[in-house]
Amino acid sequence: MMKPLNLFFAAGAFAFAFVLSGCGETPQTNVAKAGQSAAKEGDKPYQNDQFKGNREEWAKTLRSRADNQNEYKRVN
Amino acid sequence: MARMKFICDAERCIECNGCVTACKNEHDIPWGVNRRRVVTLNDGVVGAERSISVACMHCSDAPCMAVCPVNCFYKTEDGVVLHDKDLCIGCGYCFYACPFGAPQFPSAGAFGVRGKMDKCTFCAGGPEKDGSKAENEKYGRNRLSEGKLPACAEMCSTKALLAGDGDVLSDIYRERVMRRGRGGDLWGHATAYGRPDAKGAPVLPAAPAAQPAAQKS
Repeated sequence: MMKPLNLFFAAGAFAFAFVLSGCGETPQTNVAKAGQSAAKEGDKPYQNDQFKGNREEWAKTLRSRADNQNEYKRVN
Repeated sequence: MARMKFICDAERCIECNGCVTACKNEHDIPWGVNRRRVVTLNDGVVGAERSISVACMHCSDAPCMAVCPVNCFYKTEDGVVLHDKDLCIGCGYCFYACPFGAPQFPSAGAFGVRGKMDKCTFCAGGPEKDGSKAENEKYGRNRLSEGKLPACAEMCSTKALLAGDGDVLSDIYRERVMRRGRGGDLWGHATAYGRPDAKGAPVLPAAPAAQPAAQKS
């Protein structure tokens, strides 16, 4: 069984640690650095089930879709 | 490498606001926020009235990126300027820096409190997982990852608003100007994609086509 004196010291150490924890502070500043984005890195638009990471295929699809905006090619 | 760009042909825009509606509908944009809007110059002046559809131009050297105090902007490998709403503090610096008035701030409560900045994403979502619910709620639909172009341009009935790879767009525009023989000026193009020279004046990108004098009407 723990002696009353040891118990007193243990409680004191715990209280000391608890009080001391109030002095610590998590940094709340942003990690912004000049000329460097702090944003999360997004997915690549071709990394999905449709294009399976094939950038060329994705770019080709978009290019043909953009080309389709030219009505001279569609009508005349 | 693709360089995503918008082009608005003022000769064709009929101020129908179809692009505005398409954008609002596609991304469930709240009341008071307009990622895209149509501006009309010389309204009512016969022969001089021109309308232009304006949104984020995804500038080559974007001023919003330069002034953001928390660096929440980033540019994709295709030149689309996006931002991270988890970092944005809604300070409004980007709004003052943008020459096109693209950044929008939703009203977030009483006393004029404004929320995090919202702007056109070129239908490319944000940093969250593509097509996820979180991305949809924060940034709207990610059409680019589905192999589609922005809804505004695809919806445009007169094809005044074009979107896509810069090379394809300049080919379309060049052919258009050659056929009609006028209207080679592109509003906002030099501001968004031109580069300042040594003296700080913007240098125009290569003109799509010269106006042939014989075809002028």
